[in-house]
Amino acid sequence: MADFLLKAERIVKVYPDGTVALKGVDFEVRPGEIHGLLGENGAGKTTLTKILSGLLPATSGRILTPEGPLKLRSPRDALQRGIGMVHQHFALVDTFTALENIALGTGTEPGPGLRQRVEGLMERSGLKVPLDLPVEELSVGERQRVEILKVLSREVKVLILDEPTSVLTPVETDELFSLLRRLKADGVGIVFITHKLREVLEVTDRVTVLRGGEVVGEVRTRDTSAEELARMMVGEGVVVGRRRPLELATELPIEERRVEETGGREPALVVEGLRVLGEGGREAVRDLSFELYPGEILGIAGVEGNGQTELVEAICGLRRAEAGSVRLRGREVLGRSPVELYRLGLAHVPEDRWKYGLILSFTVAENSILGIQRTPRFKGPLAVLRWGAVARHARELIRRFSIQTPGLDAPVRSLSGGNQQKLIVGRELSKEPEVIVAAQPTRGLDIGAAEYIRELLLKMRDEGKAILLISADLDEVLELSDRVAFMYEGTFTAVARPQEIDRQKAGLYMGGIRAGEGR
Amino acid sequence: MKRVKSSLWSILESVVAGILGLAVAGLILKAWGYSPTAAYVALVRASFTDLYGFAGALANATPLILTAITFAIGARAGLFNIGAEGQLYMGALAAIAASLFRLPAGIHLIVALVFAAVAGVLWSLVPAILRATRGVSEVISTIMFNWIGHFLALFLVANVLVDPYRGEKTISAALTSRFPILIRGTDLSYGIFLSVAFALFVYFLLWHTVVGYEMRAAGANPDAARYGGVQSRRVVVLVFALGGIAAGLAGATQSLGRPPTYAVYSGLPQIANLGFDGIGVAMIGRNHPLGIIAAAIFYGGLQAGARLMQMTAGVPLEMVRVVQGVIVLALALPELLRIFRGLGRRLWRPRSLGEGGEG
Repeated sequence: MADFLLKAERIVKVYPDGTVALKGVDFEVRPGEIHGLLGENGAGKTTLTKILSGLLPATSGRILTPEGPLKLRSPRDALQRGIGMVHQHFALVDTFTALENIALGTGTEPGPGLRQRVEGLMERSGLKVPLDLPVEELSVGERQRVEILKVLSREVKVLILDEPTSVLTPVETDELFSLLRRLKADGVGIVFITHKLREVLEVTDRVTVLRGGEVVGEVRTRDTSAEELARMMVGEGVVVGRRRPLELATELPIEERRVEETGGREPALVVEGLRVLGEGGREAVRDLSFELYPGEILGIAGVEGNGQTELVEAICGLRRAEAGSVRLRGREVLGRSPVELYRLGLAHVPEDRWKYGLILSFTVAENSILGIQRTPRFKGPLAVLRWGAVARHARELIRRFSIQTPGLDAPVRSLSGGNQQKLIVGRELSKEPEVIVAAQPTRGLDIGAAEYIRELLLKMRDEGKAILLISADLDEVLELSDRVAFMYEGTFTAVARPQEIDRQKAGLYMGGIRAGEGR
Repeated sequence: MKRVKSSLWSILESVVAGILGLAVAGLILKAWGYSPTAAYVALVRASFTDLYGFAGALANATPLILTAITFAIGARAGLFNIGAEGQLYMGALAAIAASLFRLPAGIHLIVALVFAAVAGVLWSLVPAILRATRGVSEVISTIMFNWIGHFLALFLVANVLVDPYRGEKTISAALTSRFPILIRGTDLSYGIFLSVAFALFVYFLLWHTVVGYEMRAAGANPDAARYGGVQSRRVVVLVFALGGIAAGLAGATQSLGRPPTYAVYSGLPQIANLGFDGIGVAMIGRNHPLGIIAAAIFYGGLQAGARLMQMTAGVPLEMVRVVQGVIVLALALPELLRIFRGLGRRLWRPRSLGEGGEG
């Protein structure tokens, strides 16, 4: 009898666009263990599990079970071999009952036979779900349990959970953990993907840490610490504030320094007690407060999905806030529309440029005025569009921001990602804003374009603009920001100068350990 | 330049689709023992080489341009407005109702057209408001309103606007409110100018005004439109209102501009299906006002040529319908595919940037 259930050897994954997601990863799941898979965004966690669960083919390397090598062609294939995965985004039919969802895809009737089996399963695992209610009436935690039941009912030996706690309340998380422990006692091997250090320490037996597509370490949980894991997760060698030209008064505590440096200036943006709900009614931003001053970049670091998106959307008028206040240059703006915010001096480089930033089927010229189409510059009498002015504006953006495009009338779809982003950034800066909210501004760009955008942000800061930079790229945040905030589950775990942050601290803060909190 | 190139490409696509359609229809004719060449020659001779035939094609195109615009302007704004049918009934009858007043010629026609437009707008308003405020699917609500409109029209024809001497029809439109005939001896009225002018107006609106820009933005990417300050509710109401005007006027071109009766008959034979045919025309014309003008004339020509195809090529009416259907389907295919692709993209769109390549 082998001592493993599933083994991956030297897995390499190259995506069609040339991105190397995994560079020869070894990974192993043993029976009766909870194996944590830890890493930042882009470390390759999801890619690895997608390969293990048959969703993606590996470019090279092999997958082994005790019975021998395994060729997985589909998730169904993997399920038949006893490997099941519960995804972050559930795959349930909302109008079906839990039982019907469990039956779906198995070819069995959702009848008494299946019910008996599922009830037996619920008894043994302690996983209780109302079987006859439509899934849409269940809470998120219950839906996740349906997903897990669905996988368990196929008699899997390996259960892969992708960020299972990101949608759960603390109580639901505790319930999930005790369930995982029971399953473990039954001999199931569990792969637990997360970026939360506390959870790794609490529930896993072993941890594999991925960084940049490589395994940086595999340790027994009881032999490690949050500090060590954090260090492994984010790596050594930090570049901090190399571009900050000003000498800082580093002796003073942060709050006093603030006053000193801003010279009593008014903050450009004040967020107070902000509460925002995310998808599914989960509280994504929790009682968050901060100030942003002219002439500074406040960077928000953190693993994605910790409320950054909701925070940005609430500030920029795209999402309703439950409570709190956002003051833009002294004026309360919560609930104002994006156009009103623009008039008050806010520009927004959205995180998802294909969702919000651009209309892909529109031309470069048409996209260059999105959001400012109603200004008198472009809107003549009888709402007639001044195409001449639009063309001049677009040409100006192309020139100033060196956008590579076949022409003004080329659909924006035909531009490269970097040039699309330059167009958005250019358009937003052409609004002559005082406050710039830049969400993931360099994501997916080649090095040249990313560098260009970073330089631009620094230039804007030096011109006295207030910039809120949200990025999942820790290096970028540390490099550009004057202050860094670490966001975790809707609040800041720390706000500090980048000079005061080393990798280990950053890893701890991003993993949910608060500043000044001992472990 | 790019825009010219892409529209040339569309035209080429349509031509290829049309040839394919003709070929398939020809094979069907052949299989049943009719001569495709004779049939097609008759078709073309009837509607595109002969002045009277061409006038017939234009007369048929007159309402189709407008009902196609109703659909197209919705499609451009991301709405699936298939309510032209019901709105057209209301417009046709409202235009007749204007004959209950006595007004000088010319002014009477204008008043009747205003009646028709208002009726069309009213009939589109409920689906519009339901969509804008409650998010009710406009597909369902416009279909329902088509049926309500159908039976209300039957009721109005038989009971309210009924001709006291002939119970099967409404009163005829007053002489002062009729569209003058453009070519004597044909059905072609000055209504064609109204249709073409409206199509040109919509073209200008969509591509040369901020309002049209916002409509197209809302249709192409609702999220980005919201980010860009487009008020989607206003767009919905505006699009439906414009569509209602177009469909209402389409009805008026029939009840005020189609000799010899200038009336609506019980069972609505002359106006039934003009709204639905407009959807096909819009697709052939790629939801572009200029494309629609061409498509409507072609479609009208197919209808006008049907008679001669029966008479000279001996093809029975049913087979003529099959041939028409195949050709129309082929021409609409590129746009249909685009719609399905669009739906597919909406359902299976990669969730967002970056998620694909990271773990």
